[in-house]
Amino acid sequence: MNAGRMQFVYGLAVSLVIVGLATMPYFASPYMISFVFTVLIAYTLAQSWDWVAGEMGYINLGHYCFYGVGAYVFSLALASHTTPVLALIWAVLFTAVVAVALAFPLFRLRGDYFAFATLALLPLAEILAYNLSSVTNGADGIMLPAHDVRNLTFMLAVGLSALAFLASVLLDRSRFAYTLRGIRNDELVLETMGGRIQSAKTKILVFSAGFAALAGALQAWQLSYIDPPTVFGLDVALIPIAMALLGGSGLLWGPLVGVLVLAIIQQWLLINLTMLNATVYGAIILFIGRYMPGGILRASWVEKLSMACRQRSNGPATGDAVPGLPGGVHAAAAAISSLPLVPQAVDRQTVVLDCRKVTKAFGGNIAVDALDLRVHQGEIVGLIGGNGSGKTTLFNCISKAFEPTSGGIVLFGKDIRSLRRDQIARIGVGRTYQIPRPFGDLTVDENVAIPLMYQDPHLRPSAALAQARKFLDYVGLSTRTGSLAEGLSLQEKKALELARALACRPKLLLVDEVASGLTPAEVARFTQHIRDMRDELGMTVIWIEHIFSALAQVVDRVVVLDHGRLIADGPLAEIVRDERVIKAYLGSAHAEDDHAGA
Amino acid sequence: MIEVFLQVLIGGVMLGGLYALVAFGLSLTYGVVHILDFSHGTLLAVIGVISSLLYLAGLNPLWIALILVPCAFAYGGAFYFALLRPLGSRGPFESTVGTVLVTVGALLILSDVTSVLAGATPKNIPIRLGVYIIGDVVIPRMQLAILLATALLTLAIHLVLTRTWFGRAIRAVTQEQVAAQLCGVRSVWLRTMTFAFGAGTVAIAAVLYVLTYPVDPYMGFGLTVKAFTIIILGGIGNLPGALVAGILLGVAEGMTGLYWDTQWAPAISVVLLLVILAVRPQGFARKTA
Repeated sequence: MNAGRMQFVYGLAVSLVIVGLATMPYFASPYMISFVFTVLIAYTLAQSWDWVAGEMGYINLGHYCFYGVGAYVFSLALASHTTPVLALIWAVLFTAVVAVALAFPLFRLRGDYFAFATLALLPLAEILAYNLSSVTNGADGIMLPAHDVRNLTFMLAVGLSALAFLASVLLDRSRFAYTLRGIRNDELVLETMGGRIQSAKTKILVFSAGFAALAGALQAWQLSYIDPPTVFGLDVALIPIAMALLGGSGLLWGPLVGVLVLAIIQQWLLINLTMLNATVYGAIILFIGRYMPGGILRASWVEKLSMACRQRSNGPATGDAVPGLPGGVHAAAAAISSLPLVPQAVDRQTVVLDCRKVTKAFGGNIAVDALDLRVHQGEIVGLIGGNGSGKTTLFNCISKAFEPTSGGIVLFGKDIRSLRRDQIARIGVGRTYQIPRPFGDLTVDENVAIPLMYQDPHLRPSAALAQARKFLDYVGLSTRTGSLAEGLSLQEKKALELARALACRPKLLLVDEVASGLTPAEVARFTQHIRDMRDELGMTVIWIEHIFSALAQVVDRVVVLDHGRLIADGPLAEIVRDERVIKAYLGSAHAEDDHAGA
Repeated sequence: MIEVFLQVLIGGVMLGGLYALVAFGLSLTYGVVHILDFSHGTLLAVIGVISSLLYLAGLNPLWIALILVPCAFAYGGAFYFALLRPLGSRGPFESTVGTVLVTVGALLILSDVTSVLAGATPKNIPIRLGVYIIGDVVIPRMQLAILLATALLTLAIHLVLTRTWFGRAIRAVTQEQVAAQLCGVRSVWLRTMTFAFGAGTVAIAAVLYVLTYPVDPYMGFGLTVKAFTIIILGGIGNLPGALVAGILLGVAEGMTGLYWDTQWAPAISVVLLLVILAVRPQGFARKTA
């Protein structure tokens, strides 16, 4: 109720601001109008940039290129007597095509490489604009037919920035945003949970480019003149980005605050300083970077004011994790039957996984060597072997984190060669990672909600978060629901890994050393979890573990790897007497384990 | 026609050598500190402008270099220590964003202050030493002198990196930071020195650059893009690789001007960079010097 009222108040305030802006041409001075126009265009650019940077974590320094391309296409279309509406459409369409074409090579890059490659697009675009003079008129620029369009373009700019704000609000609450945030954290994990990343990246880039193109078109229309430096110049290009970062990238209000602050300072400088404008401006950018790189809204004094500007309304999004209770993973209160998972009928004759001569080599090092393995439905298979024997590599081949060098893998009767990673997850493979890889800057429940949404295309984020809590109750993380995943202890992260794998609604669950490092009581509970997954839910489980006493209680059989080769396959009791296994793996550790475990 | 080709080739090699000198500093700072300094090329432009002013004041280029290299060294070290070092203690996103803002801010300030104090018109040091004429090929002696100086400098930097403790520490940190720290490399000192050293090499490159090409306060970023292309092509921290890549780029630009159109020459480095990154996202050579 309270949240609903807050939303209403916010909505009303925002609508009033928009209406106020839209009526400005009737009372404000031409100077004021042109200043506000600049702010609106800058906001549209900063906000659309932040969809790619703040949400997805890709710092696209060449965002201004889309603005420039939009401006040029619009101007060329208008100059050749197209109607303005059609010219705007052309600008968006052409820019979108450019964005799609650039998405392929650019998104092969990450981090600094991506930032720099996108930055290099600016000088390239400028050179193209200068040199393709038969089309762009080179350095002379393009003159648009003289009409008084100041009020019209102003209204359109108000509409465009309102649209950008609305899009941010909607995006923030959408399923799609969770894919973007997953990409920001860990692309591989997101894919193995069923996320399609390349198409998501392309979509958001095109969306962001479209807004930038419209901003460029409106700017060109308002100025009725463009030339290469005004739309591709480096000094102007980085300003909207600096604005978004100044306010706080990734926060709903960040770009808006940054644009207002920086634009007002810039305007003040223009009026009061006759020289060194750029220096003062540069100094401001520099000191923001030095003293509050997270942006104004993340600065500690702002957090103390507890402004209600959090991007995510559910739980703390940044900063300190909720102080947890001591003692890591808590006793599970919930039974497995409380999970929203549908039990499957088990047919012990059905082959779930069939590995045929699977080989994976890293250079000269053969991690998995011509491995044959069949797993039937409803089996619990223990996978053991010394460190570096290829256990995790085999998991990586099955979930397609790696492509096998040779051999084939058939899952549920489908050859996985033609499947993408996310499709593997969707046909029913869930996995955990030996070294936990949670989405660190998302909360614990969001971590679990993401795979739930991939499994059910109609699940709303709020419903997914509610479901996620049941999984967290089950693995004993109910007290940590709203904490950031990066703040968890190692044991808690492993429990989260398990919850996330279960949330993929797997038919085949690959468990990679979740129990190591747990206390004996925790191991016993975890072993019970594994048994329940098979007995109550009909899952098939492959479990990599070194704790024999735990394996002994649930596994149907054990598969032993040594240097990538399968050296034994059978009931645990037989395996521990196998000469080769004792020599290759158990050795003296066998005695130790008997001592420690039993 | 072959004479023109040879002349352009030699010019391209010389220009490429200068690009490589600019790239060395960026390669070291990026390799060691993992900070991409957007103002790197702008520093060259600024020092180039100052050099030409000092020349007008009556100093010869050698003295200019002797004065400016220590200044640049001190600037580079101070820049890192005061502005970039504190960002290291923040989270990954904030430190990336912070370094982008700080170095971009520095770029804007350097360009603007220089253009206010010295004017925005292109400047150079107009010393001409006459030419060698071999057959029909005309080679300015200044080009040869610069080529020689570039080669000597590359050798000197290479020796510093392979024969001194500082150089070994740099290479160790480039390859494996934590292990290097465990072996007793004081990383803050080393990073500060790396930035100082990088700025010092830029100062030398700047003096050599203005001897043949005019510089203006705003031309620096184009050089940064070229330097980055070179270190991606040649391998981060790989100086011989950077030299080869730099010369390739210089010659490619010269040949573009010769066989196509001079105005497309600046596009070469960007197109090359994008193509390399698209084909080999991790660059070609990943081994270090």
